[in-house]
Amino acid sequence: MADTALDITGLSHSYGDLHVLEDISLRVGKGEFVSIVGPSGSGKSTLFHLIGGLLTPATGTIGIDGAHANGRRGLIGYMPQAPALLPWRTIEDNVVLAREIGGAPKRGTRPQARDWLAKVGLDGFARSYPHELSGGMQQRVAFLRALLAGRDLICLDEPFSALDAMLRAEMHRWLLDIWEQDRRSILFVTHNIEEALLLSDTVYVFTRRPATVLERVEVPFERPRRAEVVDDPTFVRLRRRLTDLLTASPR
Amino acid sequence: MIRKVAPVIAVLAILAGWQAYTAISGIDSWLLPSPTDVLAAAADQRDSLITHTLATTKLTLLGFTAGVVIGLLVAVVLHLVPLLRAALYPLLVTSQNIPTIAIAPLLVVWLGFGLAPKIVVIVLVCFFPVAVATLDGLGRSDALIADYLLMSGANRRQLFTKLQWPAALPAMFSGLKIAATYSVFGAIISEWLGSDVGIGRYMIIQKSAFRADRMFVAIAIVVLLALAVFGLVLLVEKLTVKGRRSRG
Ligand SMILES: Nc1ncnc2c1ncn2[C@@H]1O[C@H](COP(=O)(O)OP(=O)(O)O)[C@@H](O)[C@H]1O
Ligand SMILES: [Mg+2]
Repeated sequence: MADTALDITGLSHSYGDLHVLEDISLRVGKGEFVSIVGPSGSGKSTLFHLIGGLLTPATGTIGIDGAHANGRRGLIGYMPQAPALLPWRTIEDNVVLAREIGGAPKRGTRPQARDWLAKVGLDGFARSYPHELSGGMQQRVAFLRALLAGRDLICLDEPFSALDAMLRAEMHRWLLDIWEQDRRSILFVTHNIEEALLLSDTVYVFTRRPATVLERVEVPFERPRRAEVVDDPTFVRLRRRLTDLLTASPR
Repeated sequence: MIRKVAPVIAVLAILAGWQAYTAISGIDSWLLPSPTDVLAAAADQRDSLITHTLATTKLTLLGFTAGVVIGLLVAVVLHLVPLLRAALYPLLVTSQNIPTIAIAPLLVVWLGFGLAPKIVVIVLVCFFPVAVATLDGLGRSDALIADYLLMSGANRRQLFTKLQWPAALPAMFSGLKIAATYSVFGAIISEWLGSDVGIGRYMIIQKSAFRADRMFVAIAIVVLLALAVFGLVLLVEKLTVKGRRSRG
């Protein structure tokens, strides 16, 4: 399946007696932006740890780029829930970290890192250290690090949940701009319904723990997506429906 | 500004008080020499002091380096082999309750009067703070970053070199600072045990001669030497530790 970036079938996971994921199936097409919304504690980060190979699933299969990827690491670009930058590395050296792990020497990848830092408005910060940057800037750096990992599939775990509403709206614009230029396959986790609808082609709604897929929703709006789409009656209706689903979610 | 000069003023005030006390009380200078007596003794003994100080400095640096290298090796090995850590860590901590002065004579019996027992004494006092602080630092790196690195395909070696080792540096340096001071005292103790040269040896000679003024000079040199080694560690830390560390 050359048009599938990520294919998950029948995935379940428990931490000891704590049953977290139950029979999850989902798919991310090549160049598709897919979101997962679910209550906090439902197991979304756990799903990413499984996709990233940090955990090996008890049952179910994970396919990345058509290859069996259960327990395999280094196949995705990943942005964790907190920026998780190395505090003793400069910003440019943080951005190239994933490539460095893959064996690319820093010297070769730094110019690309600097280009991207300039594109996202951080040109003056290549040689700064993470603590000199604001929370929003650190998020951008963590995102670039995931983008420059050189993998098609990028997994973003609630990247904007710690930001205030204004900054968050700005980051949405920013993320869409980059993604529309550089069409990667994205799996995006959030508990914010509006954010999911605004950004995605497809939204999966998870139930409370143990999480199952409650609903798969295709988002019909054209690309590039305008910010005003949130006032579109269809958008409002979808948002209402997902909100009802999440609040009425069984268990 | 006032805060910066305050300690200097305090030291000067103590010296002035000391000087005044010796003048007013008329205490015998062989019992308590005045600061100016001490300075005069230092000038008088200049040549022999330089020889002794150089010998002690050399011994301190040798022992300190050996202690640090062994301490770091122990920390890294125990960190990489958790079973070994579980087995040896309690032993390591308990071993610190043995006073070094008590085993030093035994070392002389085993190793003779040469350089070896002196180095071993310094290693014994230095290696523990370095090993324990570094081991602690290695175990306290950020779990979230570790997860990130592993998911990005990092192997065990990369996890160590890119995260755990650099994360342990601040803890390691606090161990090094303790070891720096200890190493000078270790050197002095080992020179007391038997040596023909060094500030420790010099102190023993001056004690037998009841030369309190020269004893004070020796003490001042020991303090300055400890400060110098400490400053050296501080300098290396400034050059090595970049950015701000994650908590802990
Ligand atoms: N390493 C772990 N060991 C045990 N329980 C865990 C572990 N990681 C997460 N959990 C538990 O699994 C559940 C799902 O966690 P998580 O995947 O982080 O949820 P989400 O990201 O949706 O908020 C939570 O109840 C959490 O406490
Ligand atoms: Mg989470």
